[in-house]
Amino acid sequence: MRVTFKIWRQESNSDDGRFVEYEVDNISEEMSFLEALDSLNESLVQQGKGVIAFDHDCREGICGQCGVFINGRANGPHSNTTTCQLHMRSFKEGEVIVVEPWRAKAFPVIKDLVVDRSSFDRIIQSGGFITAKTGTAPEANSILVGKDIADSAMDMAACIGCGACVATCKNSSAALFTSAKINHLNILPQGKTESSKRVLEMTERMELEDFGHCSFTGACEIECPENISISNIAKMNFDLLKAKLFKG
Amino acid sequence: MLFVRKNIMAFTGLFLCIFLVVHLGGNLILLLPSETAHGLYNSYSAKLGGNIFIRVVSIFLYLSILLHTVYAALITSKNNKSKGKKYLVNHTIESSSWTSQNMGLLGFSILIFILIHLSNFWWRVKLGYGEIVPLDSNGLKDVYLITTELFKNPYYVFIYVIFIIPLSMHIKHGFSSAFKTLGLYNLNYIRKVSIIGNMFSIIILIGFSVIPVAVYLRGL
Ligand code: HEM
Ligand code: FES
Repeated sequence: MRVTFKIWRQESNSDDGRFVEYEVDNISEEMSFLEALDSLNESLVQQGKGVIAFDHDCREGICGQCGVFINGRANGPHSNTTTCQLHMRSFKEGEVIVVEPWRAKAFPVIKDLVVDRSSFDRIIQSGGFITAKTGTAPEANSILVGKDIADSAMDMAACIGCGACVATCKNSSAALFTSAKINHLNILPQGKTESSKRVLEMTERMELEDFGHCSFTGACEIECPENISISNIAKMNFDLLKAKLFKG
Repeated sequence: MLFVRKNIMAFTGLFLCIFLVVHLGGNLILLLPSETAHGLYNSYSAKLGGNIFIRVVSIFLYLSILLHTVYAALITSKNNKSKGKKYLVNHTIESSSWTSQNMGLLGFSILIFILIHLSNFWWRVKLGYGEIVPLDSNGLKDVYLITTELFKNPYYVFIYVIFIIPLSMHIKHGFSSAFKTLGLYNLNYIRKVSIIGNMFSIIILIGFSVIPVAVYLRGL
């Protein structure tokens, strides 16, 4: 199939950046979107031009590296999917496909479609862990966890930190990401003891990293590849209110 | 600060919602037959003005509007600062409602309406500016007369009906959003609250637009 890629090219963070159009006609419908970019990059190499930089790793929807903004939607036209799970059959013959990096002040562009998501790492570092002795694994049954709690914690822990929630949010808010990372620990007995400290520090870090407020537009949960529910943000607000009021 | 700001938005917003219920309730008197409505409306208005409890609540009301507006500006400016470059193509409207994305714009229209509304009534009746308010046969301020006079003017009827639309939209999103901001996280309850919010926004829309139209038609 023949399509035109209109891709954001930017040498470095200090470069202004611009869109460049590439017409390609050797694409098959079975190709994944990233394979189509690979194929475009190969032809750029053959022409002696610089390749388009984009993030990717697992290409099976589990690592959260690959996100880009495609035709006005985070990770392309489908809801709840990663960019690597998108296939060229989702586009029409002759279509112009506009590809942009995630846009948020907290996600500066490194090169082309690659953005720096270390603001997410710093949110995790501020409290997204439990304090425990390392060494041999403890006996699994010494702390019992109900199946419903375990399932719910797994649902939230499924967040792959791809940044689609921030990219699609009109306020560039990281509320969905941060709430998932707080809640999956706060709900478990291992995480409960440090829950107030965790919610206070992680939300404070979120603010320092220049993310916006949450307006509950709900766009994040539509784009989230892992279907993380927006009710997590409400739970984070609840824990935060509790922590602020009863700080002692 | 993110936390404090949004909680203030939610608290003041919900308080304004409660006010709207009372405000609509009182104004429904205007739909009664005019002989009954005239006396009832004026004595209702006089009672409101004379009641110390209502006076205290009305201070909270003015404060709420002020805080809600100031924090709306703070929140919107922080959000704008958090944004990166604009997307060339942006279809995020496919993943969230227009209303939820434009709370600031809708709120700003409401603010303009509040100013018009206050200048029509509050300014004259409460602060005593402009034309003197006539008294009715019981010696009470004839607010009923002022209201029916105002809605003899079709332009005002139009303004009052049109501006209720942004208010209704603002509430449709704001009501359930406020509960989530304040920490209501049970999905079942969230669903129920948004149904209540939707019904509330429709009641506000119909209630407040029927009143000026009815008063206008009766005055023809
Ligand atoms: C009777 C009038 C009003 C009512 C009943 C009302 C109600 C509400 C409610 C319940 C919320 C939700 C709070 C939350 O999401 O936590 C809200 C949000 C908001 N209101 Fe109002 N409001 C009114 C007037 C205004 C005015 C006059 C403005 C601006 C000048 C305004 C601007 C905003 C903004 C910007 C938000 C969204 C904040 C965000 O993005 O999260 N509102 N309002
Ligand atoms: S490359 Fe790992 S999620 Fe897409």
